[in-house]
Order: sequence, then C-alpha cells, then structure tokens
Amino acid sequence: MKLVVARFAVLLIALAPPLAAQDSRLATRLDPKTYAAVIAIVDSARAAKLPTAALVDKALEGAAKGSDGEKIVTAVRQLSERLGAARRSLGSASTADEIKAAALALDAGVSPRDLARLRAAAGKRQVTLSLAVLTDLIVREVPVATASNVVVSLARSGIRDSELTLFQRNVRQDIEHGADPSTAASTRARGLVLRASATSASKPQGNAPH
Amino acid sequence: MDCSSDAAIVARVLRGDVESYGELVARYRDRYARYALHMLGNREDAEEAMQDAFARAYRSLVRCDDPDRFGAWLFRILVNRCRTLGARRGRRQRTFVADEVALHAAAEDHPAGRAAWREEIDRALERLRPEQREAFLLKYVEDLGYEEMSQLTGVGVSALKMRVMRACERLRELLSEVHNA
Amino acid sequence: MPDEREDIIERVADELRQPAPIGASFDARVMRVVRALPRHVRRSLWSRLTTPRAVTFTPLGGGLLAASLVLVVAFAAPHAYLDFKHARAANGILARSEAPAPQRVQFVLIAPTARKVAVVGDFNGWDATHAADQAQPRGGGVWSVTAQVPVGHHRYSFVVDDSLWMADPTAPRVIDNVYGLPNSTIIVGEQNP
Repeated sequence: MKLVVARFAVLLIALAPPLAAQDSRLATRLDPKTYAAVIAIVDSARAAKLPTAALVDKALEGAAKGSDGEKIVTAVRQLSERLGAARRSLGSASTADEIKAAALALDAGVSPRDLARLRAAAGKRQVTLSLAVLTDLIVREVPVATASNVVVSLARSGIRDSELTLFQRNVRQDIEHGADPSTAASTRARGLVLRASATSASKPQGNAPH
Repeated sequence: MDCSSDAAIVARVLRGDVESYGELVARYRDRYARYALHMLGNREDAEEAMQDAFARAYRSLVRCDDPDRFGAWLFRILVNRCRTLGARRGRRQRTFVADEVALHAAAEDHPAGRAAWREEIDRALERLRPEQREAFLLKYVEDLGYEEMSQLTGVGVSALKMRVMRACERLRELLSEVHNA
Repeated sequence: MPDEREDIIERVADELRQPAPIGASFDARVMRVVRALPRHVRRSLWSRLTTPRAVTFTPLGGGLLAASLVLVVAFAAPHAYLDFKHARAANGILARSEAPAPQRVQFVLIAPTARKVAVVGDFNGWDATHAADQAQPRGGGVWSVTAQVPVGHHRYSFVVDDSLWMADPTAPRVIDNVYGLPNSTIIVGEQNP
C-alpha cells in the first residue's frame, strides 16, 4: 500500500524532542545539566515569541562571570519572565531590542504600567533608548517614580535620540559633581521639555539650560 | 557525504550550525588573502574585503548552487568586494613590504636583494590599472583559465586576454630596469 | 596570441604566489560578524517538512501510522510552524534577511594601573579572550579598542587584568541582580560614527 504522506509528519515523529535552536557556544561553556535547563527555558521563550538570543547571551554572560549552574538557570529564567512581561506591557509589535531594554527596566523596578505609559507617550517612535536612559537613571539612584515620569515626559515632548543621549550624559555628570540625582534628572528634563515646546510653538526662547 | 567537504559543511550551516562556518573561514582564509592583498595593496583593506566577503557569503549561502564549489563561489564574491573597496578607497600607500611573513621569506632566499625586488613588484602592480591588475593576478598568480576568469568577472575572454597582455607589457616596462640592474 | 609568459613575468608571478597568511585571529572576527547575522535555521527544514513524497507501507504499518498521524499533526504542527516563524523573529537584532552591517564602535576606559583591558558583551559572547577586543594602552592610563558591534541594543562590560569587571563609567548602566557584576548598555545605530 502506497500512501502519500507529508514528510512533515514523519520528520516530526523523528524529531519528537523539542525543536530547540541549539547554540553550540552554550554546549561548550555550560555543564550538561545547566545546558539542558537553559535550553528548556529558551524553547518555552521561543514558543512565546520572545527574543531568545537575549537568553542565550544571559547564560553566556553567567559562564563568563564564573557563576554556578544554578545561578545561570535562575538568571535565564528571570530574564525570560521579564521578557514576557515586557512584551505584554509594550505590545506584541515591539522589536526585540525594545523588549530586551524593557526587561532591564523591569529589573530595575519600573512598573509594567509605566512601560505602557512610555509606549503611549512615544507614539510610533522606538523606545529602546528611552528605556536604556530610564534604567540608567534608576541605577544612579533617581527614584523610580521620578525617573519614569521624567522619561515619559521627554518621550511625549518628542525629543530626538541625540538629545536624550546628551540628557543622560548631563545628568550623570551633575550627579558625579554632587547633585542630588532626583533634582539633576528633573531639572535637566524640564529644560529639554521647555525647549521642545518652545521650538514647536516657534516662539523666541529663554536662556537654554546650562 | 564526506564530513569535511565544503558541501557537508554548507549543509550543516544551513541547518543552523553557525559555528561550522568557521571551518570554511579557516579553510579559505589564507588561500584568498594573497589575492586581496595584491589587489588592494595593504593588509587592512585586504582583511576588510575578506571579512566582508565571508559575511556576504554566509548571508547568501542558501543561494550557493554548487556547495561542493563553495570556494570558487566565495572567491567570486571576494573579487567583487576588492573591486568595490578599491574603487571606494583609491589606492592607499602600499604597506605590504612591512608584512613580516613576506619579509622573512624574502630574506631567507636572498638576504640583500629579494626584499628590494619584492618592493619593486609591489610598486609596479600598484601602477597598473585596476582591471589589468585584476586580470594579471587571476591569470598568473591564481592560475585560472580564461573561461574561469570570465565567469568570475563577467568580462569576455577576449577582453580579459587583452587586459592580461597589457598588464604584462606594462610590468615588463616598469620592471626591466630593476631586472637588468 | 603570442605567449606573454616570458622570464620576467614568470619571476613576478613566482614572487606573488608566495603565501600571504592572515592568521587565526581573523577567523574570530569573521565569526563574530557571522553570529550576529540571522541564522540559517528552519527554512530548509520547513520546506522539507512540507514537501509531500510517496512512501510505501505494509498494511499494518500504514494503519498504525495513520492512527498516530492525527495526534502528531495536532500537537507538533503548530509547534513546528511557530518554531520556524520565531527562529526569525527571535533574532536579537533584526528579523529580516538582510541585517545592516555591524558598526565600528570605540570603547574607552581610563585605568592607569591596569595591565590588560578587554571589552566583553553580548556581541562577542562575553569572551574576554577575543584578540580583536583587547584594548590597547594609549598613554596616560587611557585604554581603547574599536570593536565590530551589530546594530541594536547591547550590554557590555570591561574586564581588567582578567579578573575585575567594570561598567563603562560614561555609558548608561544596567542592574544585575543575579550575577552581581556591573554592565553597561550601548545602542548602536546603522550609521554609528
């Protein structure tokens, strides 16, 4: 009896174990148990449409930093959860870079609600850099709520990436020179927002912030 | 299928084993570096052209019709990259004589004279028109037949023969003083 | 056409045929670039999976296969299809077949007492042994290296003297709650200076 069978099903039987994207670097740098655990997390993440390269990188980072297998698996699992939460908050149309940056922001304590606010404020523009700056502000001890409000207001005012980069640099320098982090961030942001609204209204400007 | 053949490695890469591509890089890197170096005149540009060619070959790997001849297919990409890079950058000052391997080999045979002869050759090559240099290197250094050169470059056999002939004439003219010294 | 292969041309050709090896560190640089490109993953597998072909079975074998077919197709088909789609979308840089070329990015660290500085990150597998990512001392305690970094969002750090992990003081930072060692962030655009 001849049956015309889609090769599809035959190969799927043969490949019953997960169709995991094996990364050979993981295989050489992790012990077998850790490797298996990490691959299982990567497989689940792939099924959930999450950027799995970030998970592989997280595992490689742990190996490079000399972390034990348990810590690596914990880090990868946590990141996978954050990536999922980030995708839900930012929306499924978000790019892999946005989701990665948002996961780091969640790690820093930003709420999913504030991620959604940022997405709404930015409109069609990418939020990767905004998220990186937000995370940096929090790491430099700007309170989470203040940092979130600052970055959302900057996004809403439509400032360019180059201005956002300069903003981060100025705040960092202010803090290094002894300024209170919250004050430094708020002050610099206020100046940028004012300038942006003045520019869009085509009115003469006051003194630009230093 | 032999596990180490080009076709076998290409098949593995196309199945997702990106690390296997490293075997192809190691296999062809030195073989084609010579052409890139002579065509572009300095190691930095040659390495950039090589790196670019390997990256492009990887991206387009699924379009390699005859994986058993991956090397020839890669070489075609490299020849094109050398043309583009050469046109974009002009010719930088040759630094090939500073190459330690070449200097060492030259010094072993004729401690005094060979390095100078090599330098003269490099200078003469540099003074050829790019299309003549390309044709000369493919014919005399890479030992390709005219049909192969035509497939590689997209130039007709007659035109290639003319370019080789003019390159030889020019090289003879430039090097005859050195040769007769 | 006369044979132009006279003595001088032969000598030139002999000289130019000398090997001009590049060395294995070149391979590492190429592979870094290649790893950042979209992987050749399930395209060929997908086309094999969906190409029908004739298969001969015994009556018993055919019956068993037919019985299990429904279960396998119901479970594995969406999984395989999703795997194909996600393998492309899951790339951390861009989900299209022609990713932009990596950009040359300079990393600078002031470390007057360091003997060795490397930059590691998700663009080189966090591998401090890559020769091309070893910083060079420029004098006055300044170390710098220009690395090929794919377009997109990346985390990185400096490794000083093979043991001390340092975030880039001038770059945005990220928290590391699990590994406990600091990282920096960089976002590389398509035409990074």
